[in-house]
Amino acid sequence: MKLLVFVLNNEEFLEEALEAYVEAGVTGATILDSEGMGRFLAYEVPLFAGFKEFMKGNKPYNKTILSVIRDESTLERLKGIIDPLIGGLDNPGTGIMFTVPVDWVAGLVPEEEEV
Amino acid sequence: MVGIGNRLNSQCVLLDLEAADKGEVLRAMIGALGSVHEVEDQESLLKEILAREDISSTCIGEGCAIPHTQSAQLERSVMAAARLASPLDMDSPDGEPVSLVFLLAGPPRGAATHLKLLSRTARFLHKPELRKALLDAETPEAFLEILEQQE
Repeated sequence: MKLLVFVLNNEEFLEEALEAYVEAGVTGATILDSEGMGRFLAYEVPLFAGFKEFMKGNKPYNKTILSVIRDESTLERLKGIIDPLIGGLDNPGTGIMFTVPVDWVAGLVPEEEEV
Repeated sequence: MVGIGNRLNSQCVLLDLEAADKGEVLRAMIGALGSVHEVEDQESLLKEILAREDISSTCIGEGCAIPHTQSAQLERSVMAAARLASPLDMDSPDGEPVSLVFLLAGPPRGAATHLKLLSRTARFLHKPELRKALLDAETPEAFLEILEQQE
């Protein structure tokens, strides 16, 4: 099991991204309103106000989607849908996706597959 | 790791500087920078620093300010420090007059280094015991050593 963390910079893709989650077989996720460090420093900490220029074109806020992924194949399916959807994770400003191992979990929505 | 110690020369540490306003403080600090590093046009550097000050105050509270700019005049990021003989009102967010000023000037291409030095200086100056030690330092060398010990 893995915890998948996906920071989606362009919120316009949120709906489609969640559709991709469901399609890939993710049964539940938690969506957090989040904000990048650069944006916060440039706009909320006066000492860094001179760096607002660097933030031009960046989205002010983003969404962080947390989900526990039970098996590797779900993750691979999801990556295959999400990556082209948001314009390629290798391109700056699109998003960040990573996983960390999960050694225990409770409260997950059970997977129910048709046979 | 980007360190303050190799950006701040003891000749650029001005202890108990007498100055009537922010402009005088910055002029003295730029002069000190110019005595050690290549600064072709000190007046233009002052204008660039003041232009940044116009966006918002670079005071971080607790009697400290970190004016800064990225200028094409500089080859690398360098710093100067001043301890003011008489604390000055410099539009600080907490209303406290400023006693410790750290000036940071670096080239436009070195944004990452500039940001690291700016953040490091601010983080150090948020420590009450460090501020007290800098206010009590007897020589520029001792002032610099206090900063180096933090690094």
